Amino acid sequence: MKDVEDLLREGMERFTSDLRAPAGMTRRAVQRRHRRLALRSAAAVTTALAAAAVILVAVEVPGASRGGPAVASAAVVKRVDNALSAAEPGDIAQMTVTTSGVTAFGGPAVTTTAEEWSYRDQWRSVTHSSAGHPLYDEGFAGSVYTLVSYQTRTWAREPGLGRAVAGLSSPAGCGLVPVPGRAAPQLFQPGLPGAGFSASSPPAAAARSLRAAVACGNLVVAGRQRVDGIETTELTSRPGSLISETVWVGPGTYLPVRMVVRSGAGQPAFRLTADISWLAPTARNLAKLTVPIPAGFRQVQLMAVVLPIVQQFPGKQKPRTICLPAPAGSTCQRVSSSYGGALAPVPQP
Amino acid sequence: MAADRSTAELERFLAERADHLLRTAVLLTGSKEAGEDLLQTAVERLLPRWRRFDGDPEGYLRRTLCNLATDGYRRAGVWRQKERLLRTAARPSPDATGDVDLRDALVRLLLQLPVRQRAVLVLRYWEQLTDAETAAILGCAEGTVKSAGSRGLARMRELAADWNGTAAMCGGEGRQS
Repeated sequence: MKDVEDLLREGMERFTSDLRAPAGMTRRAVQRRHRRLALRSAAAVTTALAAAAVILVAVEVPGASRGGPAVASAAVVKRVDNALSAAEPGDIAQMTVTTSGVTAFGGPAVTTTAEEWSYRDQWRSVTHSSAGHPLYDEGFAGSVYTLVSYQTRTWAREPGLGRAVAGLSSPAGCGLVPVPGRAAPQLFQPGLPGAGFSASSPPAAAARSLRAAVACGNLVVAGRQRVDGIETTELTSRPGSLISETVWVGPGTYLPVRMVVRSGAGQPAFRLTADISWLAPTARNLAKLTVPIPAGFRQVQLMAVVLPIVQQFPGKQKPRTICLPAPAGSTCQRVSSSYGGALAPVPQP
Repeated sequence: MAADRSTAELERFLAERADHLLRTAVLLTGSKEAGEDLLQTAVERLLPRWRRFDGDPEGYLRRTLCNLATDGYRRAGVWRQKERLLRTAARPSPDATGDVDLRDALVRLLLQLPVRQRAVLVLRYWEQLTDAETAAILGCAEGTVKSAGSRGLARMRELAADWNGTAAMCGGEGRQS
């Protein structure tokens, strides 16, 4: 009898014997890198939001400009941290985000609108069609993820899926900004399905972005402008930035009220507009964080809600398998490439 | 100092070695689709370093595959994070014909092991690396590799013993080739 090591080796050989690496890996890597850079640039908007407040405070801190960059930054960070921590956990961040442009699956540019709310560890996001109809509604509260599809009139609820707001990692440097999407919807990033990007910027996340924003000096004050009747301070990204950002910051609050982000030259077209309000945590406002289950909708397994939505993502590079994250690993389900096959559970390691 | 390398060189390297690396990736993940995805991710990690890459690209990719498979895949950035939701997941193809022998059963067992234990066995018995080399790739102590490999093999031996016992009860050695 052979040793088990030899048998294992032969088994591995047999298991993989007919495998051939797909062609075009380098080309795909280049394409994905470009897309990733574009999306990462878009994600920099959170830093921009924070930086907006930072710079505004910097302008108003007496002596800040004379104290040199290090002193000014330190003073600014402290002031803005205070300002934002005052908004968290006291306020609910509400955003209406309209995005247009690149998609994850290589399809034509799409335009979608999403409404988002975040408060403490909770979040909710409703994505609308271009005609204004709700497409899907998802939220995370109390370690439970809820998803409602208005197209298939189904809904699902899964304990232990999704992420709380407090998931934002520390920035690694100017080129790697923290990603607000991590703190927000896990299944579908709001605004642009499949793009892996969220404009969600809960106050806690914004506060953590401040130090990077200050260090990188992303924005400069461009002047004053009225936004929805409010006299705001306008800040824009420096010339030559990878993306073009404009942020309008409310007077006195140092909190952003609107932002527009465009991709830079040579990047896949992308544009994001977000109107932001800061709501008091009244019972009525807190109710916005709850995903309502409409009457007559059928409860099904989560994947049965997910797949019809994924099918509608534009583009040709559609995933064959969907893997949903969970704290203790992943819950994966596989479907056929034609999306016509039955769902099959995938064993977990 | 390393000379600039062209993308064409990377393509040539992958044309030569990607099949083998894919097989490693498939063993680490358990399915062709997941293996392809893992290898693609590793190539994307290599790409920005490639022009000035001064070292063994196969070793780098192998190390990246292992790191991604064991713990890095979940922290690979927003794009990856999104893609993680949608990526092809591991699933060994079931043998519907019943023509299964011990070797296939061992591989199926391998794919059910904890990912780190599986990585150790793949590196040791597929890549035929030493304990020290395996430990270096996985970033752990050699003793950890030994113990993980030992635990994995022990389960394999249990399976083999059961298998042979069943084969004997069924009247022969025909199930093992």
